[in-house]
Amino acid sequence: MNIALKEIVKNKVRFSILGSIILLVSLLTFIISGLANGLSQDNASLIKDLPSGQLYMNKEAEGTYNLSRIDPDIQEKINSQQKEAVAFSIQMGFLNDESGKQRSVAFVTSTESKLFQKVKPGEIVLDRSLEEEGIKVGDTLTHDQFSGKLVVKSFVDQKKFSHAPVAYISMENYKEIYRTEDMQLVFVPTAESSLLFKDLQSFSNRDFLKTIPSYSAEQTSLNMIIWFLVVISGMLFGIFFYMMNVQKIGLFGILKAIGLKTSDLFKMMWTQMLFITLSALALSITFSQLFTSLAPKDIPFILTIETTLQLAAVFLIIGFIGATLSGIQMKRVEPLQAIQQGEV
Amino acid sequence: MLTMDNVRKTYVVGDVKEEILKGISMSLHEGEITALVGPSGSGKSTLLTIAAGLQRASDGHVLFEGENMTTMRPEQVRNIRASKFGFVFQFAHLVPFLTVEEQLILMLDVSASKMKKNETKQEINKVLQLVGIEHRKDAYPSSLSGGEKQRVAIARAIIHKPKVLFADEPTASLDSKKSNEVMSLIRDLTKTLKMTTLIVTHDEDMLRYADHIIKMSDGKIL
Repeated sequence: MNIALKEIVKNKVRFSILGSIILLVSLLTFIISGLANGLSQDNASLIKDLPSGQLYMNKEAEGTYNLSRIDPDIQEKINSQQKEAVAFSIQMGFLNDESGKQRSVAFVTSTESKLFQKVKPGEIVLDRSLEEEGIKVGDTLTHDQFSGKLVVKSFVDQKKFSHAPVAYISMENYKEIYRTEDMQLVFVPTAESSLLFKDLQSFSNRDFLKTIPSYSAEQTSLNMIIWFLVVISGMLFGIFFYMMNVQKIGLFGILKAIGLKTSDLFKMMWTQMLFITLSALALSITFSQLFTSLAPKDIPFILTIETTLQLAAVFLIIGFIGATLSGIQMKRVEPLQAIQQGEV
Repeated sequence: MLTMDNVRKTYVVGDVKEEILKGISMSLHEGEITALVGPSGSGKSTLLTIAAGLQRASDGHVLFEGENMTTMRPEQVRNIRASKFGFVFQFAHLVPFLTVEEQLILMLDVSASKMKKNETKQEINKVLQLVGIEHRKDAYPSSLSGGEKQRVAIARAIIHKPKVLFADEPTASLDSKKSNEVMSLIRDLTKTLKMTTLIVTHDEDMLRYADHIIKMSDGKIL
C-alpha cells in the first residue's frame, strides 16, 4: 500500500498549494531562462554560431575588440599556417534606408571564409529582422561615410551582434567607411587555446563573448535570477516538508514503534516530493512551450526542450536535497517520545 | 515467552543519576494477562517499554523466546516489534489519512505478512468483526469516537497475530463503560489468540481482567 499517495489524496489542498508554488517558480525559471538565451542570441549570435575555435586580437587592445588592429604581416603569417583562419571586423554603425530613416546595424566584413557571407562591393547582406522592418531585396541603402550605395542582396537568419542586426559588407567598402586597412580579429576554427601567435591574445568563443559590452552583465544578472529561483524552490521543499514533518513527529514515532523502518518514512517523503515535482514540472513545461510558440516576435525568447529538461532535472535534484535535509528530524524521532506525547 | 532478569534502568541528567528500575525480574506466559500497577513514577511504563524493545535496559536481560533482546542490534529488535509484538497505547495514535481498513493493511505491510490479497481481506474482516467495528471499515479516524478509535488500535495491534501484546494505559482516555468494553476485548483476544499480554494501568477496576497482578513502587516489585 502506498501511504505517500494516500496522504496526498487525503490532504489535496495542502499538497496542491506546494505544487502550485513549484509550478509558478519553475515556470518563471523556464521563462527567464528562455529570455536569457534569447537575449544571448540577440547579443552575440554572430559569435555564438561560429564553430568552436580561438579568436585573436592584439595584446594592446587589452580585451576590447574594437580597439584591436591585427598587423597585416601577422595576419598573413597566420593564414599561411592555418588554412581555415579568417580575419574579420565588426563595427557598430548606421545605414540610411530609401526613405532616409536611420537603421542601427553591426557592420561585418571578413576575408574569404565559409563562416561569413561573401559580399561584392556595392552589395550588402542583412539580418532578416530588417526584412521584417520593411527593407526588401534590391533596396538601396546609404552610409554617411560612404560615397556609393549599397544594394540589398539577400537576408540571413538570426545574425545579431550587440543587439543590432548584422550587415555584411565587402572588404573594400568597409575600408572606405572606416578608413582602415587592418582587420580587428582573427578566428581559427578548431584551434586549441595552446595555439598562440606573437603579440596576439587568444580567446575561446566563450571568453570572447565576455568581452562584448553588456553581454556579461546581462547574462550574469539573468543567470543569477535563474539560480536564485532554483535555490528558492529547494528551500520551499525543505520548509514545506519540515513543517509537515514537525506536525507528524508523533505519527512517525508511532509508526516506528510498530516497526516501520526510518527508510520507509524517507521513501514516503521522496515519493510525495517526486509526485508533486513531476506534476508541477509537467504543467510548467507545457506552459513554457506554449509561451515559446505564442510569445510576441519582438521578445527575444528562445527556450529549447533540452534546456527545459536540464532545468527540470535540476529542480528534481534540488527538491530531493531540500526534502531530504528536512527529513533528518524523522531519523531522530524516538518512538518513546511520541507515545508519551499524546494523540497525533 | 518473555522473561526479564534483574532489569535496571538509570537516567543520567547532568550530574544527577536517577534509578527508575531497581532490578526487576518477572516472566510472562502465553494466554495470560499480566497487569502492572502502581503509583505514577513507580517505573511501570518504563518496564513495559523495555520489555517491548522500545528502549534498552541499563543492566539485566530481556529474553524473548529464549533470545536476549538486550544484546540484539536495533534492526533485529525492530523486526521483532514489527512481526511478533502488538502495541496499544493510551491514545489510539491512528494514521489520520488512512481508513480503518487501511490502518490494518499498513500493519500487515510493516510486519511483512505473506498473506495473499484475498486472505488479507478476509483476515481484516475477521479482526474488525472481533473488535466489533466492521461497519466503520471505510471511516477515517477523524470521524470515529474515542472508543471506536481504541478498538481500531487494538485491531491494528493484533492483525498480524503477535505473540505478545503490550498495552500502556489502554483505557486512560475512555469512560468507565468503554474501558470495560476495551478490557473485556483484550482479555477475550488474549485467550482466543493465545497471546501473552502485558498491560500497564492505574485503574484498579481493570485489574479483574488480569490473570496476574504485579504491584510496583519506587522501581521495585512489591
